[in-house]
Amino acid sequence: MEIRASGITDVGLKREGNEDSFSTDDTHNLYIVADGMGGHLAGEVASRIAVEMINASFQRWATNDTPLEEIYGSPDPSLTLPGNYISSSIRLANRVVFEMAREYDQYHGMGTTLAAIHVTPSLIIAANAGDSRIYMIRDGEIERLSRDHTIVSEQVEMGMMTPEEAETSPLKHVLTRNLGSSEDVEADVYEIEPANHDRFVLCSDGLTDLVSDQEILEMTRAENNPEDLCKVFIKTALRRGGHDNTTVISVFVSGIAKPRQPVFKKIGLLFADAIIGVQKALKKIKP
Amino acid sequence: MARLVLTFNKQVIKEYPALKESITIGRNDDNTVVIDNLAVSGYHARIDNAGSDHILTDLQSTNGTFINNEKIVTHKLQHGDKIIIGKHILLFVSSAKGKAQAEEGGAEKMDMDKTMMLDTAKQRELLSKQKTAPADAKGEKIGVVSFIDGSDLGEIELTKKLTRIGKADTSEIKLSGMLMGATAATISRRPSGYAISFAGGMAKLKVNGEVVKESVALKDFDTIELGSYKFQFYQKDVE
Repeated sequence: MEIRASGITDVGLKREGNEDSFSTDDTHNLYIVADGMGGHLAGEVASRIAVEMINASFQRWATNDTPLEEIYGSPDPSLTLPGNYISSSIRLANRVVFEMAREYDQYHGMGTTLAAIHVTPSLIIAANAGDSRIYMIRDGEIERLSRDHTIVSEQVEMGMMTPEEAETSPLKHVLTRNLGSSEDVEADVYEIEPANHDRFVLCSDGLTDLVSDQEILEMTRAENNPEDLCKVFIKTALRRGGHDNTTVISVFVSGIAKPRQPVFKKIGLLFADAIIGVQKALKKIKP
Repeated sequence: MARLVLTFNKQVIKEYPALKESITIGRNDDNTVVIDNLAVSGYHARIDNAGSDHILTDLQSTNGTFINNEKIVTHKLQHGDKIIIGKHILLFVSSAKGKAQAEEGGAEKMDMDKTMMLDTAKQRELLSKQKTAPADAKGEKIGVVSFIDGSDLGEIELTKKLTRIGKADTSEIKLSGMLMGATAATISRRPSGYAISFAGGMAKLKVNGEVVKESVALKDFDTIELGSYKFQFYQKDVE
């Protein structure tokens, strides 16, 4: 399996500082985007801590094959072991951001969203808290592997608001889940099997505020490498106003073969033998 | 059209979408905006229309009314003003002005752009106090596969986010057969629902009679065939 990944962050055209953080770890195949919030650029502290904590704890647990009982918090029975590593490292990062926000005046009220993806030949783990998104582009179609944790999304889900109303609501960016605002948080985690030529895009809302899902699909299909794709995303966001910090990571997967050939050969030979045997037998019976 | 957003401790409690006529703010039930807090007077303040302007007036409240931390008696409200009453903040949003300011790059003035955290449990509790019934949360559902091919596998709940189906011992659903792959197919739970993907092996995967070479979303009562096995998918409510 071959994984190519690239990430870019841009402060945008309107903000004074960049409170987004991201990381691409090609050794552990862990990719993370975090969009921080809080007064006086405390958001940058929150997002940076979250990214570093998650990388550190995931790496430690994965390298040591840490058993479920020893990770932070109660394990989730619906997830695999690495899925639990991801879920727990997010839980731990939340606790750290939360405690710092509580302890220091200048960090009071800080928080961050989180979107992370872990890629291996047999498993893709996607996790998020907040409104930063994870997209999967597979077979010419785009699908979200994250859920927006915002009031308006929940209201749309509950049938209390239409998607159009949600788009124009001033509450569009009010979150119902993030890292830092409460002592405990559960990220939404999804696990799927990878397929050949899968492409993934992780981004903060600086991009998705300005670009539709359909456009993300078209742009992803048009580029041949993740570096160019990221540049296209940032360029588009800036051209459309760049009202917010914008961060994007693209991950391209290839070289996954479905195990079929060896069995086919064996079966093929068996059938061939059987057919030949039958033909021979028929020849003997025919006059 | 102007609107007010009531917040407390950086959490949004309620939105008042249209300020048309005069409105009153206070602790008593007959106010337009009811704030149930001891720091708020029975009739604390009012907002009146004067042409296209909105004028905020303090009604000689005990603790006063503040605009962006300045105590006022009367004040012409401007887009983005924070009306502070006790510990509550009413954000004044003027949509017409809002658009113009955003275009001028005044987005920073709009506190709304900053992402605030809302405690859902607290929101529901406060909303119910405000006598607005929130819609019932959609019930959680779980996927189930039910074998209808005579095998004794019966019904299996899909408790994992990723369910592997195949010959391998580690499969969540273990099937046998010469042509069955170690992992023949997987069912994954996504934000949009469940989907089944073909993973490998010689046994074909069919959904409702059609061969699936990659993946397809699953709907209630889809019939799935994998080699000589046949099962139905559906979602049931979680107790």
